[in-house]
Amino acid sequence: MAKLTIPAQELMYGGHAACPGCGPALAMRLLLKGLGPRTLVSIPACCWTVIATPYPTTALKVAVLDNAIESTGASISGLRAAADALGLDKVNIVGFAGDGGTADIGLQALSGMLERRTDAIYVMYDNEAYMNTGIQRSGATPWGAWTTTTPVAGDLRGKPEPKKDVMGIVLAHRPAYAATLNPAFPEDFNQKVEKARDIVGPRFFHIFTPCPPGWKFDSAQTIALGRLATDTGVFPLYEVVEGRLRITRKTGQLKPVAEYLSAQGRFRHLTPDDVTLIQAQVRSDWERLQKREREDLSLAH
Amino acid sequence: MTAKVLSGNYAQSYAALLARAQVVSAYPITPQTSIVEKIADFVASGELHAQYVKVESEHSALQVVISAAALGARTYTATSSQGLLLMHELLHWASGMRAPIVMGVINRAVAPPWNIGADHTDTMSQRDTGWIQFYAESNQEVLDTVLQAYRLAEHPDVRLPAMVTEDAFYLSHTVEPVDVPDPAVVDRFLPPREPHAVLVPGEATRLGSFTGPEHYVDFRHQIGEAMARVPKVLETVETEFERAVGRSHGGALPTYRIDDADAVLITMGTSTTTARSVVDELRASGRRVGLAKLRLFRPFPDEELRRLARGVDRIGVVDRSYTFGPMGPAATEVSAALYTARHRPEVTSFLAGIGGRDVTPGEVRRMFETLLSGAPATVHWEDLEDEGVTRIHG
Amino acid sequence: MIEIRFHGRGGQGAVVASELLAQAAFLDGKQPQSFPFFGVERRGAPVTAYCRVDDRPVGLRTSITAPDAVVVLDPGLLATEPVADGLKPNGILLVNSPRPPQALIAPAGVRRASVDATRIALAHNLGTPMLPIVNTAVLGALARATGVVSLEGLTRAVGQFVPARPEENRLAARDGYLGVTVLPGDASAPAPPPRARPPPLVLPEGPIASVSSETLHTAAWRTFTPVIHLDRCTKCNFCWKFCPDDAIEFDAKGYPQIRLAYCKGCGICAAECPPKTIEMVAEA
Repeated sequence: MAKLTIPAQELMYGGHAACPGCGPALAMRLLLKGLGPRTLVSIPACCWTVIATPYPTTALKVAVLDNAIESTGASISGLRAAADALGLDKVNIVGFAGDGGTADIGLQALSGMLERRTDAIYVMYDNEAYMNTGIQRSGATPWGAWTTTTPVAGDLRGKPEPKKDVMGIVLAHRPAYAATLNPAFPEDFNQKVEKARDIVGPRFFHIFTPCPPGWKFDSAQTIALGRLATDTGVFPLYEVVEGRLRITRKTGQLKPVAEYLSAQGRFRHLTPDDVTLIQAQVRSDWERLQKREREDLSLAH
Repeated sequence: MTAKVLSGNYAQSYAALLARAQVVSAYPITPQTSIVEKIADFVASGELHAQYVKVESEHSALQVVISAAALGARTYTATSSQGLLLMHELLHWASGMRAPIVMGVINRAVAPPWNIGADHTDTMSQRDTGWIQFYAESNQEVLDTVLQAYRLAEHPDVRLPAMVTEDAFYLSHTVEPVDVPDPAVVDRFLPPREPHAVLVPGEATRLGSFTGPEHYVDFRHQIGEAMARVPKVLETVETEFERAVGRSHGGALPTYRIDDADAVLITMGTSTTTARSVVDELRASGRRVGLAKLRLFRPFPDEELRRLARGVDRIGVVDRSYTFGPMGPAATEVSAALYTARHRPEVTSFLAGIGGRDVTPGEVRRMFETLLSGAPATVHWEDLEDEGVTRIHG
Repeated sequence: MIEIRFHGRGGQGAVVASELLAQAAFLDGKQPQSFPFFGVERRGAPVTAYCRVDDRPVGLRTSITAPDAVVVLDPGLLATEPVADGLKPNGILLVNSPRPPQALIAPAGVRRASVDATRIALAHNLGTPMLPIVNTAVLGALARATGVVSLEGLTRAVGQFVPARPEENRLAARDGYLGVTVLPGDASAPAPPPRARPPPLVLPEGPIASVSSETLHTAAWRTFTPVIHLDRCTKCNFCWKFCPDDAIEFDAKGYPQIRLAYCKGCGICAAECPPKTIEMVAEA
């Protein structure tokens, strides 16, 4: 057998209730591989509430706390405070929230947790809409995407507003560590988890998690689509350590964003002009990211 | 034991100190703020070894202690009025999680219009959230009840959160002598929390969960059973508190001069003190009146109330809030509890002290006169009677 | 009143089928009622929906425990779900299956019926082999087997309420109507015992869940099964690495094998396998 490139330990059980090909399920599996069993996960209302299976069963081999949809940031502050008060050694405290629970209703508690420097990892697993309630737009839904609350009819062509820059908001709090992760790149994913695990302070992961029913693509394509997201520049992989940004997957030439968009039913209605607009935005975001990396690098010297 | 002149708020702070709270979350709101300020001083001086979490909202204040309690920590937080209302969703989370949190609540009116005076609307509108609710009459009772509330909340037969309330300004900012028990005495009464049903790092467990219609009812029923055990457990807690500290506060429904009373007034919080003086005065002039204090509102002490009502024909209930029901909220509960009693006294609802109004001896005297006059039981907006307006509702 | 219970899997359209039946009954001049059971709504997970049809407004708001007919959109559910629970004697068990109704196991007295709705759906270009949209074909079969709605009412309902491919759906309903086989039942058979309520939980100290989810099997969610051709396997671990269901383990020689109780058949392993040694095979 070839050497495993990510940890062998499995801290997620089979039998969970995720849809076939679920990005968030794979994200949790990879995350816990890197963090290990001494991990406490606080989960708000989101797909994972249900994925984790009903009482008296549980789908994780670590301790899980449910919390209200808007309070994940506060919940992990409470867990860390108790762990410190009780003298619990070497415990990873993790909040694992969806994009709605982070970018929208949970933003205040996330900001509070970052600002008070809670020693914990906040994960936003981003399937780019409220998927547990059946595909409603969130602040993290990208421009042009169809959802049940941004229908495609007449002049309406999906979500008319751009995706909220949650990373930008997080970075404004100067976290100890922040990174974008993509389960399609498990080695990069795992390196970031293991690196963040050993850093003290508020840490943030933005994890890209494709959703076959919500994005309308075949469940077998979850990884291929994730790879395309990064290789087209839609979801670049980078990390920010103590304010310095480093791109962790260099793509010499970005693939055309049309490849990524055309693979999903939620973008089926986009016109060539729409695609051109998106392409221009992705390119300019990518250039800005590279510029920031160069500047941070020069500051480091 | 040290006697100090303390505000009701500092009585809360000292109680949290004596209880050795391990995690305290803090968010300011008038008139609660001085509680968490004082605790910040205790933590800064090293007197209290607690994690002091400064949060960005009351909602997060409660979430922090819920999550901390889920790991087994003893926790404290405090709020008031709008802050308590913002916590509403999480109040249910705390009881559903069986988290033995103790929270101080300063009873304050609810906006609009903005009003920071004493009023029970805030806690009354949280009566159905699965929290034990105590209403305190004095700063001494505040301190002692917080300590008792920890014993009660953490008791293996209970394991439910508890709020200890005090009237805005009438207690929160009133200073009066308070005996602060020695820490060693409190430690004997209140040993460290023994964690039941908490999360342990490394164990494959989930606290909270979800369940379908087949089992949800079991969870609700279990909370109901725990609530039903509270009065009995409170009795033992009071007995042990009296043995350790030398004081008792009379359990769920302490009474005053009710033997042979023709009329009994039921009060909550600070109006009790004034009413007690009026009872003495009326008794001195030969009127047969008595008093009962609803110290415990959740669970509602209906057995104690039915026992009290056996020899009484007329009961008046003083509510410091109006919750848009047929009577004041406590009067509604009293009526419901007595409806199945063999001897069913008439219940008159007095709304008094709303939004920070004084509940004066004159008003209390008038309430007793109303009861003794045999006037039909109804709802009286006592605050408005001085202006010559009597509003009868229903 | 006729009570019908639908069993399907998330994404198959059991709820839509039940609602469409209600619309058809209404067009026939009847008083229908349709509602889903809200459980774990996941693509592939078992789903239940209920439909009542009466001449008068329906005076019940409860789930259906003693149905006159049970409709099973996916034969895979027969092995894992108690679909026939409470079915009345001489009631109808209608299954989407290529097999004749004689092959169905049903409670005493029940009329067994089958229709190859998957074949009909695919013939009319409804859905994919992975996820055929069988509900209109099944409703056609139900109309014939029970008479609960007329084919005409069903056809009109399809025209009014099925936004995508109305003509293909209309033809599928017709083919289902024509293609169903029903065996006779026995009305004198004893009624089944009422379904037992779940026993009350003896809760541990607080609401702490601690039973492994591996006690729950998700094999029934699957329509395709990955089969690994080990002769070409390079043991690269890609299939293991990318499996969202923790459904791949290694044997003693380091070859991957599928944990079939937990595989949902998403197909990621087959798509990501570099030497393409994994084949997705349709479930029997």
